[in-house]
Amino acid sequence: MRGIERELPEFKAQGIVPVAISVDAPGTSEKLRGAKGYTFLFLSDPKAEVIRRYEILHAAGGPDGQDISRPAEFLVDRSGTVRWENFTEDVRVRPRAEQLLAAARAIP
Amino acid sequence: MLLWPSQISVTTFHPKSLRAGVLNSVRMGETGKRRNFAIWLGLLLTLLGPLSSGLVFIGFPAEPIPWIGLALPTIGVVFVLIGLWRAFARSEIYRGKIAGSIVAVLSLLLLAASVAFFRAVRHIPPQSAGTPKVGQQVADFTLPDSNGHPVSLMQLFSASASNPTPKAVLLVFYRGYW
Repeated sequence: MRGIERELPEFKAQGIVPVAISVDAPGTSEKLRGAKGYTFLFLSDPKAEVIRRYEILHAAGGPDGQDISRPAEFLVDRSGTVRWENFTEDVRVRPRAEQLLAAARAIP
Repeated sequence: MLLWPSQISVTTFHPKSLRAGVLNSVRMGETGKRRNFAIWLGLLLTLLGPLSSGLVFIGFPAEPIPWIGLALPTIGVVFVLIGLWRAFARSEIYRGKIAGSIVAVLSLLLLAASVAFFRAVRHIPPQSAGTPKVGQQVADFTLPDSNGHPVSLMQLFSASASNPTPKAVLLVFYRGYW
């Protein structure tokens, strides 16, 4: 997400709106935004409703057995169609901003 | 009076003993035995493993080689074991019986911790068949932003005064609890 923040002007130029989603409460996300200097949108899904709908729930994956989201990225276009997606097998390995931008450029 | 090296060797001492003397001062401590470098090299490697694995959590870019945090302590433990073998089986030459034993326990604990950590960061459930695929449509949803204001996915596509209509939204799902 640091990479996304760094490349925000480029995302904007490409017409891409980055949105971070987790089970964290709005206040927790706001704290994270403040601490890390993130300026893009963070959405809260404390009951993991959307996370469940996307079937990317990691049941009991939180530090105290809470249900959390698995790391995943989706590029969704105006019609609501998924244009690109990415899943990882290692929480430390996330797509780099350049990869995300490359995927974004491929969308006409 | 000038002495040529050949004269020194002939008149004062044998060159072999000179070399041995220099090596002794470098390799051997007060006990007269060689330092057991394998032990310390091993410890360093086992320490570097967890260090490299944790870098991503303190602000470094994503781990480029995920298994490096496992490979380093494994190689480290091998070196420690070599050092330990030297200390015990060749104790007339090498030092490090006590240090080697302590380091061996420490490095094995570090390796165990590295394995546990490696399993934890890769503990992600298998991908569900129901996850939206490329080309599939997803339904709109509404969630609160970090200030508690509800925001819908489709709302994000509306043009604002400063921005033209976006062509896509990048949804980044993350684990939370950071």
